Amino acid sequence: MVDGAVTEQTGVSTIEKPREIPEGWEPNVLAFACHYCAFAAADLAGVMRLSYPPNVKIIRLPCTGKLDHIHILRAFERGVDGVFVAG
Amino acid sequence: MIVGQQKPFDEIWEMVKGFKKVLVYGCNTCVAICHAGGGKEAEILTSLLRMKAAQEGVDLQVDHAAIERHCEPEFFEPLDEKVRTYDLVLSTACGVGVNFLADRLGGSMPVYPGINTTFYGGVPEAGFFVELCGGCGNCVLHLTGGICPIVRCSKSLMNGPCGGTNNGKCEVSNETDCAWFLIVERMKKLGTLEKLYEVQPPRDWSTGTHGGPRRVSLEHIRAYEEQEEKNAATEGRR
Repeated sequence: MVDGAVTEQTGVSTIEKPREIPEGWEPNVLAFACHYCAFAAADLAGVMRLSYPPNVKIIRLPCTGKLDHIHILRAFERGVDGVFVAG
Repeated sequence: MIVGQQKPFDEIWEMVKGFKKVLVYGCNTCVAICHAGGGKEAEILTSLLRMKAAQEGVDLQVDHAAIERHCEPEFFEPLDEKVRTYDLVLSTACGVGVNFLADRLGGSMPVYPGINTTFYGGVPEAGFFVELCGGCGNCVLHLTGGICPIVRCSKSLMNGPCGGTNNGKCEVSNETDCAWFLIVERMKKLGTLEKLYEVQPPRDWSTGTHGGPRRVSLEHIRAYEEQEEKNAATEGRR
């Protein structure tokens, strides 16, 4: 997608500029997880000594219903490459 | 309420990109209800503008703020000083709010619109807005069963329906109800169908937007406020 182009379905322009992806690049992913399910699962994974890549950081929410548009936007503003919401 | 829609992001970016310090200023009344320009939408737009500026390598500070109403002076006062520290206010209030703030700032800084003000409407269901009043300044709803022929009829007919009515739909669009079909059905139910035999004369549109800017002045309220101010001044002198 070219910057400034308008997607046919939404009419929303793309803010992100396309860039070359360097070799060996790993995305930084932020996970928002519900305390009662996804975060508990991550906790259990820890107890089971299972590992996951270090480029995923988890933020525990009391419920994913707490998540707001602005939390996701702020994450992107501060440079994360992807946001993962689990709940 | 007044219904608006956010302008396309590219259009907003073109407006703001030449400035250094921009305040996205939301209004928490009508335009917040229609998810176009409330505090939340102002915050989201601010974030998008910051990301766009970072992507384009433009040095641009964007902040957001919101007040309850952009059409009365009292609500602006607490933030007046802060607002004046910016180069541009991108107002996400309706057109009334943009005009009101621009007048208030008196040319000391620009106020640009972040939304397109669309119509006076209702919210029959969440996320759906329909135009129900044209603000024509001469209401005829008592003659038409509470259904406005000025905005709900595509042709604003006063003695409808026209020949384009089609099984209750309008010839302009199949998705639009024929207002005059609705009026006749409503008046049948109300038992006032005979009122429609009275032919309505051509309208005087000067009470609408065709007669120049409109004003409403309530003299008794203004006189009362004036007296209150005088009393306060007298008491202050004592």
